Formats: sequence, C-alpha cells, structure tokens
Amino acid sequence: LCRGGLAERLCRLQNRERSAISFWRHQCISDDKTPSDKSGVLIVKILEIFEECTIQVAICQQLEQSPVTLSPEDAVINAEEPILKVLFTRETAAHLKSRPQDVIHIYPPWQKLLLQNADVPVIMNTYFSQKVLLSEHSEAREKTYGLTKMLIRKNIISLAQTFRLDDLDDKLHQEPSDNQVACVSQIHNNSDSKQHPLALNAVNDSLLEMVESQGAVGWREVQVRVVIQRVYCLPAREGYRSHTQGNKPLCATPVTNSDPPNVRLCLLVQDAYGMFSEVQLQSLSSTDDFEQYCRRWEGKSCCLAGMKILQRTTRGRALGLFSLIDSLWPPVVPPKVPGQSQDSEMMTTNLPPPSFCYILTVQSGEIHVEVDEEEQISNLYQPPAVHGLKEILRVDGCNKRCSFWAQVLYRRLQTKHNVPIDQRDILLFVTDSTLQNMGHGIPKVVAVSVSASCVLSKEIREALSAGSRLVFFKDALWGNGRIICVERTVLLLQKPLLCLAAGADLSELTGPVRLDELDSTTQANSVCALRGTVVGVNESTAFSWPTCDRCGNGKLELCPQDRELLYCNQCSEVVTTPVLKMQLEVFLSCPSRSQSTVKVKVWHEISIALFVLLTTLLFLQTYEVQSVLGKEVGLLNCYVHSVTSHPNCVVLEEIVLL
Amino acid sequence: NSTLPAVAEELLREIRKAFQERSHVPDDLLLGLKFIFGPSAVPALDLVDQRSVTRLRSPSGRTLYQVLGSSGKLYTCYSSCHFCTCPAFGFSVLQKSESLLCKHILAVYLSQAMGACQELSVSEEQLTNILLAEEEDEG
Repeated sequence: LCRGGLAERLCRLQNRERSAISFWRHQCISDDKTPSDKSGVLIVKILEIFEECTIQVAICQQLEQSPVTLSPEDAVINAEEPILKVLFTRETAAHLKSRPQDVIHIYPPWQKLLLQNADVPVIMNTYFSQKVLLSEHSEAREKTYGLTKMLIRKNIISLAQTFRLDDLDDKLHQEPSDNQVACVSQIHNNSDSKQHPLALNAVNDSLLEMVESQGAVGWREVQVRVVIQRVYCLPAREGYRSHTQGNKPLCATPVTNSDPPNVRLCLLVQDAYGMFSEVQLQSLSSTDDFEQYCRRWEGKSCCLAGMKILQRTTRGRALGLFSLIDSLWPPVVPPKVPGQSQDSEMMTTNLPPPSFCYILTVQSGEIHVEVDEEEQISNLYQPPAVHGLKEILRVDGCNKRCSFWAQVLYRRLQTKHNVPIDQRDILLFVTDSTLQNMGHGIPKVVAVSVSASCVLSKEIREALSAGSRLVFFKDALWGNGRIICVERTVLLLQKPLLCLAAGADLSELTGPVRLDELDSTTQANSVCALRGTVVGVNESTAFSWPTCDRCGNGKLELCPQDRELLYCNQCSEVVTTPVLKMQLEVFLSCPSRSQSTVKVKVWHEISIALFVLLTTLLFLQTYEVQSVLGKEVGLLNCYVHSVTSHPNCVVLEEIVLL
Repeated sequence: NSTLPAVAEELLREIRKAFQERSHVPDDLLLGLKFIFGPSAVPALDLVDQRSVTRLRSPSGRTLYQVLGSSGKLYTCYSSCHFCTCPAFGFSVLQKSESLLCKHILAVYLSQAMGACQELSVSEEQLTNILLAEEEDEG
C-alpha cells in the first residue's frame, strides 16, 4: 500500500474499528447487560427487513432518543413516528438475528446519511448494535425463532443504475487535468467555425443549385460543401481557357524542357446529391507538392466558394473525365434527392450515371477552397478499387478506369526526337504477383503506355529511370487489351493508404521475375525471354566501344593532353580502365518459335558466353563461323522491336530489367 | 425500490464535495466506504493512490475506463452501466449479487470524485478494439 495514501489510512482506521467492535461485543457478552452510557444511543424498532447485496436494510421506527442528543428537529420527528432506514453489515445482521418488531439499540459511533431525494435518513456504521429483549416471553420466543430460518427478501440491484457524482448544476465533464493527453477535435460538421471570411451565408450542399441560381458570372457569397473524390494534375492547355489570348493557337503546343511544367492542380468533387464537378485550381510550379496534396486532401470534405464556371461538358465530349466519373458510380451513400427526405432504403445500383459535369475554376488571385484537413475521411469518399493485374486483364469493355500496384520491370521511351523528353510517351512493362504466379494463357508481363498527357512528378520520373520500383497506378485506363495512363491517371510511389483492395495483393514479389517466352503469339513492342542456338552472325553489325567504368558513359573522348588516354566528361576524369562494350546481331534458332528467323541484338555485358565468342571474332580477325555456330544462348530477356510475317522474322534487342 | 445504490451514490458525492472543498477525505467517510463496500474499499483506495484509473475518450464522446489491476492486468469498466471485466465482478456482482461493485468500478468512482483519473484520447477504432478484445477474452 502507498505510504500515506488513502488505503493505508483506511486500513489503520479499520483495524482500530475492528478492535473496538470486538471489545464492545466482548463487553456485552461478559457483562450481560447493556452498557451504562446511554448517550447517543439510537433505539429503533424494526418494521421490515430486506437485503441488498450483503447489506441488510431495516426499515425502522425510531422509538426514542437519548436526552443528550435530543435536538429541536429530533423532537418534531419523534412526534410523528420517524422512520429510519438502518443498514447492517452481514456480520452484524448475523449477530443480531433481527426480525420485524425487534427493538435494537444502536450505540455510537453510528453515522446518519441524508439522501438527496429521500425523506428517510439512513443510518450506517451500525457495528455496535444490540438487540433488546423486552420481556421474559420475548426471550423464549427468541429461542424458538432462532430455530426457524426467516426468509428475507433480497433486492437485486440493477447494473444500469450508475452513480452521478456531480450536482445537476455542474457540467458533465470535469476540467481537463494536467495529465490530459492531446484532445481530438469533434468530427461533425462544424462549418460555422470554419467558414470562409467572405461567406456569411450558410453552407449549401448542392452544386447544381449554385450553378443554376448564380449563372456563369460567378458567385462569391455562397459556399458549397463537397467531398474531394480525386486529386490530380492536368497539363494546362490553351483549350481550357475561356478566352484566347491574342494570336495564340488553341491547340496544345509543346513546352520546352526549361520552363516549369505547366500543370494545374485539379479536384474531382462530388456533392451530396451525387453530382460531380472538376475544379481547376492554381498552376503548380513543381509537381513535387502534388503527392502531398493528394494524400492530405483526397477523401476529405471541403467548401467551395466563388467558383467560376469554365464550361459545362458532356459525356460525349469528355470521355476521359467521364470514364473517371463512371468508376465512382454508383455512390457509396445513396445520393439525396431534392425535395425528398433522406431515404436509406433507396437502391443506388439502378441510378444512371451523370451525363454532364461542370468544370469550375477559381477566380484569379484568390483561393476559395477550404479543405477540412483535420477531419476524418468523408463517408461519401470512394477510394480507388485496387485489383490484381490478372483481374484487370479480364475486365470486359473499354475505357474503364482501373487501379493497381505493380512492379515496373522495363522502361522504354518513345523515339520521337523532336519532342522533349518529358513530353514523350513512355512504355512501361509491369507485373505483379497475380501475373507472375499464373500458368499458361495469362501473360506474365503487361505493357502500360504512359501518354504525355498523364502528368508525372519528378520523383516518379527519376524512380522509373533509376531502378525497379513498385508503383501505384491510380485510375489508369483499360481498354482494347491495353492499359494506358492518360489525363487524370496518377502514378504514386507510396502504397495507397485507403483503397478497396478487392483481393489485390499489395505485397512485394518474391523470387526472380519471369517473362513470357518467345512464341508464336509474341507481338511487337513487348518483352519476352528466349533461348536458342546461334545459327548465324551479322558481322556488319558488330562493333565495340569503350565505356567509362565509373558511370557507364559510352561517349568517351580522347584526352587532350595525352591522345593515348580516354577521358570521360561526365565524371571529368581520365578513364584508366575502360569497360569494353560490344554489340552484335546474331541469328538464333528458337525452339519456341521455330518457324521464324530470330535476330537478336546482343550486348556483351550480359551474355558472358557470347563475349568470349565475340572476342574471338573481333580480335583475331579470323574465325571459323563453325566455332560460333551451334552455341547455345541461355535465357535472354529481350524487347521485341518488330514481328513480321513475310518474311517470318522477329527482331529483338537484349535488355536489362530494372 | 432499492436503497443501497442511493446510499453509495450519496457517500461518493460527500467524498467528492469534501475533496473539492478541503482536498481531504475525512475519516468518517472512509469508514463509510468500508461499511458500504466492505472488502473492496481498501483495494479500491489503493488503486486510486496508485493512479491506476484512466478514462478513455473517443471523438464521438464515447468513454471507457481502464484500471490497471495489482497483478498488472488491465481491466475495462464501462461508463454507461456497472460492468467490469475482472473475474471478481463476474462472481461477486453478477453471480452472487454480493457486491454492488468490484474494486475497479469503485476505484473509477473514487478517482472521479478526487480528480485522480488519467485522461486519454483515443480514436473510435481504438475504443472499438478495446471493447471487442474483451469479448474475445470471454469467448
């Protein structure tokens, strides 16, 4: 027990009390008479007894009180036959063996407790109690009573009855004490405190009402409460502006690499009635912040004010936008119907998806979007449904938005040279565990085409070129057997925090990645693995060149000081031990595609076996073709450049997977 | 109509009032605790001395109490009714109806009365998990 604590105190008090009780009882027995000191003795006659827990409750009539303690109030009470509730502990009750009509003397120290809403006082601490036998007959009666057991009613106490310690006037909760940990703010709509300073009216919840009532002029006074379903970036195109600027053409013009990426942060929002709107916010100077916006804003509620309507677009004119809207339909919560009260029984599956959507923008110079970042995710939010690639490939129809988490194996840039690098289409080859572990009929790797209109952050671009990364593709488009990343598709490096993982496996791939083997179904612009035998060598394509052993730079120069040495201008150092790279086209006979001529451009660094061959070929200048022919070439990973049927030829290039 | 709960409540209110006014609980109230709650009184006060009671609150306003027992086990007491996950509650209160409360619930009330509750804010999910965990233990 704690030194000086309450428990220790009570222990001491209790021990003292127990000694006093046993001493008093002993005294009663040994003296066989009631103690002489009558002051403060309570004399009661028992009217009724019942039990509650182990306490015996006796409804008693107070007979008289010792003159010493008599007070004016007591005198009044006495005259009206005062009723008392006397409590006895189990032990005292067993000792007393009281019955109705018994008279009990209760010696001090007893306690009187007055209850709040009851008139009858309660007497406690009745350890020093003694039954008084009034007559000879009583004694005899007592003995017979002692033989028969009296049934005492036991009240069962309800557990629902809790104790209210504070007064009705007090607040329900105590003041926060010093050891209180950080308090979380309430989550319900407290829009009153967060209203935009300009907006004085109540927050509305219908986008359509706002649009129709205010017109295209723009509104400042009213706020609309919506949920942010998606956050993405769109390339800023002239076509989205509401007016032309001088002689600038309306079509998209490629932006040179030196300018900051011209992208606008956009939100796809939905109101309580199910209507969508795309809100174009400010231009982002860099896409680095984008992932932050995405994580902090997506799924939260926000208030829009002072929006300007850019256009009202329809399904036919904005296929990309509506494919995203379709993926969010039907809504998770039945949308409200204007004029009707909320009916939770309403079926949402039969509601047709929206056929129009307003594109809004902010008035220049002011931000009119207040996002409740601290609040919880709105229950209207529909996170992206993440599926395994195998499931996605099986989906029917086209222009369906899909989300998946996959490992990027190989990246290939489009080869148009007049287009800057960040404007070029990228071809990614990805896989996940649903494809890798499957049997025949399902490709092991799938190609994802990233168009220039899909805005990639600098972080993603670097990650894609650096190494094999797991990437989350949010709202990519699937159709006609291809997955493409277009406008409104977002590539993220972080695993989705909130998503409907419908059977998707977000775990890492275990074991080495395998590609499909080259066969009759292999198509151009895909990746595959092959094995075969060398049947021919295209000598005219053979060449070798030195590369920097530090950075791999293939464009080494002759050192100005010493023309015998090589210099790497990327490392700004002399290359003393260059790595020799060789390239050669070989013709293989592949049993998996035996009818075709397979021409593979191979690199020395990967195929060690071929390096030996090539060295022999190139340095000795004389060779026997026979020594090369017939050599087995192991499983090579290749990119398929072209597949032609007449002549039946497959041209590939050996690749390194990321 | 029951008497004991009203008595217990009044006693606890007196303790609270005495503590608020004088930061001290008089002897007669402590003995009153002993009289009404019997053997639970001293252990309950010990739990209060050790600051073993924590009130958990979730954003929706739901509360729950957790009491660190002498054995090191954490027991959960409900706010809306008298319930505790300790075995003594199941036995003495529910089965035998011998006690109004177990020592943990009494400790909760005493901690409330003397401002000795630790306060902790938790998420809805955490609160739910604590409640569900109790279910699993008993299941």
